[in-house]
Parts: sequence; structure tokens; C-alpha cells
Amino acid sequence: MVKKALNLLKIDFKKCIVENKLQQIKNSRTTSTPNLINVWTIEINPKDSKYVLDLIRSKTQKEDPISMLHIKRIKKKTSNDNLPSLVVVIGSVELFEDKDSVQSILLEHRKQLTYSNLSSRHKIPKESPPTKELMLQWSEEYWPLVWRGNPNDQILNDYTFDMPFIEDILQKIHKLSHEQHENGNGYPIVTAFVDPNDPTNCVYAYDKRAEHGSSPLDHSIRVGINAVSQRLKEKKNVINTDHTDGYLCLDFDVYTTHEPCSMCSMALIHSRIKRCVFIEPMTITGSLKPESGDGYCMHQHKLLNSSYEVFQWVGERFKLPEISQTTCC
Amino acid sequence: MRSTHLDHMRLAVKLAKYALDHNETPVACVFVYEPTNEIIAYGMNDTNKSHTGIAHAEFMGIDQIQQRFGAENLVEILKDTVLYVTVEPCIMCASALKQLGIKRVCFGCGNERFGGNGTVLSINKDRSTISLNENITYDAIPGIYRKEAIMLLRYFYVRENDHAPKPRAKKERILDKESFPPMIWSIYIDRAVFAQEFGLENLIHYDENTDLTDVTNHGVAWELIDGNCDDILDSLETLRQNSQINSHKRVKSTK
Repeated sequence: MVKKALNLLKIDFKKCIVENKLQQIKNSRTTSTPNLINVWTIEINPKDSKYVLDLIRSKTQKEDPISMLHIKRIKKKTSNDNLPSLVVVIGSVELFEDKDSVQSILLEHRKQLTYSNLSSRHKIPKESPPTKELMLQWSEEYWPLVWRGNPNDQILNDYTFDMPFIEDILQKIHKLSHEQHENGNGYPIVTAFVDPNDPTNCVYAYDKRAEHGSSPLDHSIRVGINAVSQRLKEKKNVINTDHTDGYLCLDFDVYTTHEPCSMCSMALIHSRIKRCVFIEPMTITGSLKPESGDGYCMHQHKLLNSSYEVFQWVGERFKLPEISQTTCC
Repeated sequence: MRSTHLDHMRLAVKLAKYALDHNETPVACVFVYEPTNEIIAYGMNDTNKSHTGIAHAEFMGIDQIQQRFGAENLVEILKDTVLYVTVEPCIMCASALKQLGIKRVCFGCGNERFGGNGTVLSINKDRSTISLNENITYDAIPGIYRKEAIMLLRYFYVRENDHAPKPRAKKERILDKESFPPMIWSIYIDRAVFAQEFGLENLIHYDENTDLTDVTNHGVAWELIDGNCDDILDSLETLRQNSQINSHKRVKSTK
């Protein structure tokens, strides 16, 4: 993790543009209402707080699939009686599936600990909000939060960009797109699949739907995923299921001339790619930009349990051959 | 309820059981050409073996239609074709089917994680996924052999957990054969479409979020999903090979 100030890349954190060339594409609507998750809380006497915090630090914090660095673990209880009391978040419902498991970890940690009201009724925002105003609002509405800056700044800052490599590969698909166009392909859409473990040996795929005997679904991305699969099948023993976790394009970077349609953007989810960079937005059929088509933002849809990074090239323009905006790419 | 729905879906459920018995995700489908009411293709998941994550049952069926009748006729044939699939198509497949202009989709249970016919997104009714024929949108009818489709998935996941390096908590591994989530019809279709498909007399199920009674008499057709389905592949292959695209239907001749 590099500090923002030390990053050698020029990043406009406000506009989310890297080196004036790559525009981060994100779902602008997800931010105002948080995704919530229930957490297990107990009420304790303030004098016992150090034992409970010790338990959190040494155990639950590390094991919890839900990060809680953005919340305050302890909240003062506003009660009618004069007895001071604290409500403490022990862990998420994803860490402990029932009351018994919370009780047993508490007992295991400190036998004589007294607590009350063990329950999973409290909800916390799963992620940190993008602005301080929203942080204060959510703290009021749901659970006290900590402000550590816009989480997207850190996300952008932590991404890695090999700019010369990215420009090279975009230049290549741009050139191939023109070649396809000149060869009479009415769908000059080109995609490159880059394997993180073999970046120089990438797979280029063309849209084949206009070819005789090809299906209207032979979009460059689908053709490319199948080509990657084919290549691995040919090299026997290369499919190491431990490494790929069963997903063929795990952590691949995908460069494509045109913003993908709903079919292809979802195929990329199924393939578990890491990043997609496109050149030309498709205003009617695109499924990544919030402004395109039905505004799906498929790469970071809340309900899909997987996501990928998306960037649009906004640098010096790669002029592509024209295609109809109603084309699904 | 139209008995054809049940007849066709029964074949898909059997094929899904076959997939389960051969270590694949138990999702399967049949494509029915409506004018002749014949099975023209079938498919089951091949994601485990192919390692692609996109080798879903629907694509195997689409490939079969393409191979038998020619890629250039795909969109023309799909215009009059109904898909019966045990689990709601994922967003990718829902989009592929819409682009090919399928007439209708009938499915068993919803696809909680990836469903593209209502559960996560309603690709079948959207504007950005462009159909290549006059079926601009399609209806996706849920609830046909739903509990059976759910049970097959449960069989699969219970088995999966046995192989997991870090087995999940016990509670998840116990096979639940009794409780089923409510069938929320309104996520997928409106009342009018429901009535048209299943009859006015069944509207009570729509309103009360319950399964159709006459499908399996409130229970589960255990004999369907617990039986041996090893011969289903041969039967479907025979049906597919014998199927005809009606001669009065104009199929574009090859170039």
C-alpha cells in the first residue's frame, strides 16, 4: 500500500482519472444508501471493555469476512437507569452463524465475563461511505463510523497501472479493429485477454458474427474466453485447478475496443477477470457505464457476488471504425 | 396448467439429475420448437469439465440448434422456440436468449445469485439487450417443477461441501427436504401473464406466493429426482435427431 502522496502515477481522485488517460467507471448510485449487515453485539460494564477489545483484536477482527475498520466497535448505551453500559460489536453474522458460537468464544476467552443482551439485531453499513457528510448521516442512522477518507481514493491508489503496456495493447487492438474493418468485417470489435502469469502471450479475439457459419453470439469477448479455454486444453497439465480456482480467466486483464453488452459483461463476471479496459462507450447496449443502456454497471452490481475493475480510455483518442450504437458488443 | 409445460420440464429435470449423477451442476434444459411441439435441442452445464464458467446448459442447446439447422437460421428458429430450463437463466444466458429473440422461457426455480429473468436483473424485458428478430422482449414463466429443481441443487451443494477443504458449519450441510422458500411470482410475471399460463383458477397461488398444486400435489416428485436417469441422454438425442422444423415455416435457405 503506497501513500497517496508517494504514488508516482498522476491520479485525479476527484474525477477518478489516472494519468489523464484512464477513467474509472463505477456505479454512482450505490453510494447514497449503504449495504447493511447484521452484527452480534453484547452489552457490558465499561470496566470490562479491555477484555472484550482484546478478544476482538486477537481473534474476531482477523477472522471476520466483513472488515470493520470503518466502524466504532463500542457505542455508549443510552438507557434510563443510571448504570453505565457499552454496546460492543463482536463480529458479523458471517463470522458467527448462531448465538451458541458467540457464547462459546466469549466463554473461552474469559470465563467470568458478565454481559447481557447478546443479539444480532444491530446493522452496520458494510462499506465506508464516500463522503464525510454521508459518514455522519450513516453514523446517526445505523451505527457510529470512523472517517478515514473516501475509500475509493485508497482503492484507486492501490490499483497498479503499467501505462506503457496498457497503451501498447490498446494501440494493438485499435490497429486490429481497423484491419478487420478493411477486410470487410462489419463488426470490427477486438478484445485482448492478458494472463497475469504470462502477459506477453496474450489472446486476441475478433467478433465473428458476420462470418459464414458463425452465430450472432460470437462476440469478441465470448470468442476470446473460448480461445483461452482452448489454448489451455491444448497445453495439457496446464490447467492447475488449485491455481485458477476452477475459473479460467482468474485475474486476467481484458482490453476491448467497445463497451461490452449484458451477455459479455456477465461472461466476464463468470470468468473472474480482474480488470476490463474499453475504448468506445456503447450508449444503447453498453452494460458498464452508469450512463450506458439500462445503467447496469455489471462489474459492480450489488447482488452479484463478484466484481471487476473497469476503466474507459479517455487519453489521446484511438479513432475506431464506426459501428451502430444498437450493436451488442 | 398446460400439461405440455410439465412434459417438457420433466425431461429437463431428468437431464439435470443425469448431470448431478455425473458430477456436474444439476442445471439442464430443453428447447421446444412450438409449431411442431418437438424437442430440437437440449443442454446441461459443462462448467466443471470445461473450466470456462460460461459453458452453461443454454449454450449447449443453442450450439445444437446451430449445428443441425445452420447458424444462419438460428434467429428465425428461436423466434418460435420455447426454452424449458430447471433454473432461471443467468444474466449472460438471459441476454444471449434475448439477442437470439427467443419466444419464451419457462423455468423451475429462481437463480438467487445470477438470475437474469427477474431475480437479479430482468434482461428479458430490458432495452439495452437488442433482439435480432421481432420478439423484442420475452416472458419468463417460473415455478414449473420448482421444488424438484431446488432439491437437485441442494443435493449438489451438500455433496460439494463434503469435498471442500474447509468444511462449512454442520447446519448448512444437513439436507433440507421439507422447507422451501415462498414462490414470489410477482418478481417474474404479472397477474395477467400468470392467469394466461396457469388459468384463472390458480390465481390464488399468485396472490399467496405458493407453488402450483397440480404440479406435484403440494409435495415433491421424488421419483423424478431420485430415480435413475441414465437413459435420458439417449432419449433426448433421439428426439432431437427426429425433430423437424415445420416445412410450412419459411427457413431462410443457406447462402
